[in-house]
Amino acid sequence: MRRAAGALLMAGAALAQVTWAPRFEVGGAFPNLVLLGVVGVTWTLGARAGMAWACIGGLLLDLTSSGAIGPHAVALVAGAYMVGFWARNLENPTAVQVALTAAVTTLVYSAVLVFTAGLLGQPAPVIGVAIQLTLAAAVYNALLMPFAIEVLRRLRSLTRAAEPA
Amino acid sequence: MYSAKSPSRSTGLFLTLCAAMLLLAMLSQQPWAAGARGAARSALAPAEEVMTYIAAQVDRVTAVFGDVTTLRAENARLRAADEALRRQIVELNAAAKENADLKAAVKFQKASGHQMVAAQVIGLGPDGFSRTIEIDRGTSDGVQAGMVVVTGAGLLGRVREVGPHSANVQTLADPQSRVNVYLSTSALQGTVSGGPNALQLEVQHTLGAAASTGEWALTSGVGGGYPRGLVVGEIASVTRRDSATTDQAQVAWVNDPSAISFVLVLTDFLPS
Repeated sequence: MRRAAGALLMAGAALAQVTWAPRFEVGGAFPNLVLLGVVGVTWTLGARAGMAWACIGGLLLDLTSSGAIGPHAVALVAGAYMVGFWARNLENPTAVQVALTAAVTTLVYSAVLVFTAGLLGQPAPVIGVAIQLTLAAAVYNALLMPFAIEVLRRLRSLTRAAEPA
Repeated sequence: MYSAKSPSRSTGLFLTLCAAMLLLAMLSQQPWAAGARGAARSALAPAEEVMTYIAAQVDRVTAVFGDVTTLRAENARLRAADEALRRQIVELNAAAKENADLKAAVKFQKASGHQMVAAQVIGLGPDGFSRTIEIDRGTSDGVQAGMVVVTGAGLLGRVREVGPHSANVQTLADPQSRVNVYLSTSALQGTVSGGPNALQLEVQHTLGAAASTGEWALTSGVGGGYPRGLVVGEIASVTRRDSATTDQAQVAWVNDPSAISFVLVLTDFLPS
């Protein structure tokens, strides 16, 4: 049940990412729903679950963009791994801490994405544009993260309640 | 928030996943994998199409609320109007806009003399680094990588990757996009590049001639990347640099990728 809900959530987030999210563009950045989902899953279920769902969500994003299949997955797995370290040391994180992890994960995600593009010989954005877009996206994702984690918490309670005792 | 697990197990999984995904990335970008890559992407296209349709319906509902608010403020008589009738009006307006887009596209097709394939936009790029759109036409419709994509308003971009039933288009807003243009009044030549906020134009200035706001930038055909004469946008502002041989300008692009629903692919032009 939980896995089905997770798969549905990740597929929905990836599809919304490439259809709805760009409509909410501010300063060249728009929310990364899959990244928010991955950070939320890592906080609630742990690093291993976060990395697994990061891989699936990343592959879905790769399938909706041009170029090689894998860079978004690597970038999200790196983000989930980093959040995992953070989550291990915090029993009850505040909304600010959760928002901060979303911002830092966005920086890691973007850096890995640009690095991977360079590694694979794909076109990468110029550094100034990349920094501007990354910072804007980090702020955007940080603002949305507390709401995203609340949605995930509620979904988790729902799936728990639906599971047989 | 969750029970602590062994960090070494997480690190092992992290390294394994990274290695696997990097290997997949390297293999998937090989020329022999292009078919499989395109087919995998085409498999997602129907789901994207459905989501885009749902997004359009949500937009219509939001438009209803927006219109209701405006009408209430403007005219008390309309307060009594039937809600369903107003919704119908908004829907008809949306349909009329869609018709206008299609008419403009057909008009462009007739005027340009190019052979074209009409396509529907079914998705947008997943991150801010690559400004791309996904269309519902692919190799089975005669679309090939490198083909130029336009709307009734002007140049949109170029097909970057193509699958059997869908294609990925790199728009002019993509930071890697470059297009050579000339200006309508001064006839100066320059290059338009993509950016997060506006298209940037680097234009040569010659003695006695300089770019000015309000001029139109059109494709020059230089370099063979695009056919000559496609409208790119209007110069919104110019920054003069007396010490350099070029001026910088911002171009108000004629297209807004997040608001486009139909595009045309020029099937009789491939970059030289």
